[in-house]
Amino acid sequence: MDTNIRITGEAGQGVQTIGGLLADSFAALGLNVYATQSYMSRIRGGVNSYDIRISDAPLYSAREEADLLVALNRESLDSNLAAVSSAGKAVFDGADGGDSVVSLDMTGAAKEAGGSARMVNSVAAGVVFAALGYKPDRLFDALTNQFKKLGEEAIAKNHACVGKGIEIAGQLKGAVKAPEPGKAPLGEVVSGSEAIGLSAAVAGVKVVSSYPMTPSTGVFTHLAYLADKYGIVVEQAEDEIAAINLVCGATFAGVPAMTTTSGGGFALMAEGISLSGMLELPAVVFLSQRPGPATSQPTRTAQQDLHFAAFAGHGEFARAIYAPGTIAQAYDLMRKAFETAHKFQSPAILMADQFITDLQQNIAALSAAPNPIDRLIIENHAADYVRYAVTDSGISPRAIPGGGAFVVLDSDEHTPDGHLTEDLDERVMQQDKRMRKEEGMIAEVLAPEIYPLPAAEVFLCWGSSYGPCREAVDILRARGRDVCLAHFPQVWPIDPAKALAALGGRKVTAVEGNCNAQFALLLRMAGALGEFGAITRYDGLPFTAEYIVRRAQK
Amino acid sequence: MNAENKKQAPAWCPGCGDFAILAALNKALAASGIDRKRLVLVSGIGQAAKLPHYTDANVFNGLHGRALPAATGIKIANHSLDVIITSGDGDMYGEGGNHFLHAIRRNIGVKAFVHNNQVYGLTKGQASPTSDIGFVTKIQTHGVVSVPVNPLALAVVEDCSFVARSCVAFPEHLEKMMVEAIKSKGFALLDILQNCVTFNKVNTFKWYKDRCKELPADYNPRDRENALRTSMKWGDEIPIGVIYRSDRKSFEEMTPALAAGPLAERYGK
Repeated sequence: MDTNIRITGEAGQGVQTIGGLLADSFAALGLNVYATQSYMSRIRGGVNSYDIRISDAPLYSAREEADLLVALNRESLDSNLAAVSSAGKAVFDGADGGDSVVSLDMTGAAKEAGGSARMVNSVAAGVVFAALGYKPDRLFDALTNQFKKLGEEAIAKNHACVGKGIEIAGQLKGAVKAPEPGKAPLGEVVSGSEAIGLSAAVAGVKVVSSYPMTPSTGVFTHLAYLADKYGIVVEQAEDEIAAINLVCGATFAGVPAMTTTSGGGFALMAEGISLSGMLELPAVVFLSQRPGPATSQPTRTAQQDLHFAAFAGHGEFARAIYAPGTIAQAYDLMRKAFETAHKFQSPAILMADQFITDLQQNIAALSAAPNPIDRLIIENHAADYVRYAVTDSGISPRAIPGGGAFVVLDSDEHTPDGHLTEDLDERVMQQDKRMRKEEGMIAEVLAPEIYPLPAAEVFLCWGSSYGPCREAVDILRARGRDVCLAHFPQVWPIDPAKALAALGGRKVTAVEGNCNAQFALLLRMAGALGEFGAITRYDGLPFTAEYIVRRAQK
Repeated sequence: MNAENKKQAPAWCPGCGDFAILAALNKALAASGIDRKRLVLVSGIGQAAKLPHYTDANVFNGLHGRALPAATGIKIANHSLDVIITSGDGDMYGEGGNHFLHAIRRNIGVKAFVHNNQVYGLTKGQASPTSDIGFVTKIQTHGVVSVPVNPLALAVVEDCSFVARSCVAFPEHLEKMMVEAIKSKGFALLDILQNCVTFNKVNTFKWYKDRCKELPADYNPRDRENALRTSMKWGDEIPIGVIYRSDRKSFEEMTPALAAGPLAERYGK
């Protein structure tokens, strides 16, 4: 049993405030919460919406239909009314929402009970709780928590607004079927961005340098929020080129460092990625995708930059790319990216997108205790130390400046001591050494997850399409279709053996948020995939289970 | 340890001003008592950017135009290191121009020694951001049209901690300016006029030697308006010396996460 609540209004009307308040309150009630946002690239106006899906069972996808729609203005009502489910209800803040709509003067109620139109958020939250038939205790708690800095009077007024909302709900009370509380593990609501930022802080990142760009800014902001607690220098760079080069410098001097960006900014970083490949520095990039080309849809989602990330940077060098399917996995893979970058002294990228960075869920608590990764630095190196010693693994002992011998790095081809060379044999030796690291990375590639068990047909997915695919598989299997999913949490480099084990001999349908089924093409290039079908989406919205099911049944 | 790196043969033309800069740097480092093991020389790409290979130091020879952000990252990660940039006018004022503006704002304790010969060497003789109007090259066939960048005036306008100019024709002065820059707090800009024997037949060693004049002994580098006027002098007489000093706090002083000591040395402790 699940219920989807959609709060919609123009930018600046408090859609996010109500959404966040409800998500926290539902989580405290012991419901599984899955909250997603759809917003436009503007600070005022437009139509924004905040969906909070609640259930007594774990959730993996947003839903297209709303069982309870709360519209704060006319335009938002009109553009969302068709999405109200057959048994659902629509509430409009005003006098004449129309025949099928419950019109409630929530702003008027806020003025009356709280003395300010801005408190419409609390009135609306009260209306929602009443419609779902939940007792408002947890909502009162959440408000108390939210307004404790503003003092008793603010808390009392907002509580009064909730009471007023419940009162004016009238015939709406208990009219929307809702899941039974108390079935979900109690945990705080966390967003993808928060989980990724926390993971980086816990893993010991000490320097973060970025230029703001939606949808990567959430991670940048959360790291700035955590900076004092974890002792991190967060520096806003003048541009993305500066950001990646600053990260290269910081890793050279000996601390884990990262940058955060989206496709356009990553494009500016391409030369710096190549630099970290050449200098063998553990540069870590958080890359949050949105649609392209160019500026495209700044606040929407996509999985269009996989080929770009896999090949960004001139020349040939090893890199690892991870792509989480859930918030918990994002937390794990952010750390993994730091570990791999340091083990192989190579760039590592955590690839996400607007959908999963903005996604909020209540999940088991993520550890916040500092647990710095091993930098794998050699200390007290002798005077004859050379930075780029040729080894079987391709991994050379890494020292940092300030120790027993000079550490010399050059972006030109270099001899093992790091000084530039134009000797062709030295060039081949160093290039081979660097490429041997890719063999080591391939041996450690994360295997795909098969859900629920191998089947004749397989939905091939990576990154954030995991959840919607998983619910789609559940729906289709319940209808008798022999289908499973194979989710790849690591998308580069590719281990053909692991991919073949998951996909070989099965009917493969790639489910990807791009036009070309980019990951399927990479697998094909690696010899791990033959013919395949594709369910793609590139309108800027995330996959939903319904979308995948509709396309799969065509 | 304070020896030149003899293993690397310089790729510079005989008579290049870079040799004088290298010699002055070695002397200035010795005079400043710098521990070479804790010194990082950072450069971008160009003939000047090869300098770090010809002396003993830790070296980060990165991308064209990107010496400043790399040096910034190094200094943030370990602010107990001495971080000196030695790179050219194209690297620092052209390709890296945006970083130049923002490095001064940030005021991190990196010392930038800019080899300014008003021409591109490694790419064979095109105009640089500091080439004078009318300077003819194989690309600027009718002469340079754009007004040259004035790095010193920009730095004064941005309240840079330390702004100085010297010239390879005056090696003792150059060494003195390097020592002063190293001693200063925050970001230091030392613009070094140097001849290019191969590609700049206008601004020759003699051309610079005839024009450069040391600032008078009573010059006050803390008078910002006068410093701006001084920084704009160019032509028959070119002032050399410490043009401007400011007492701004450095990035390191203003960043709480660095208060307890260098990040790289405290890691995991």
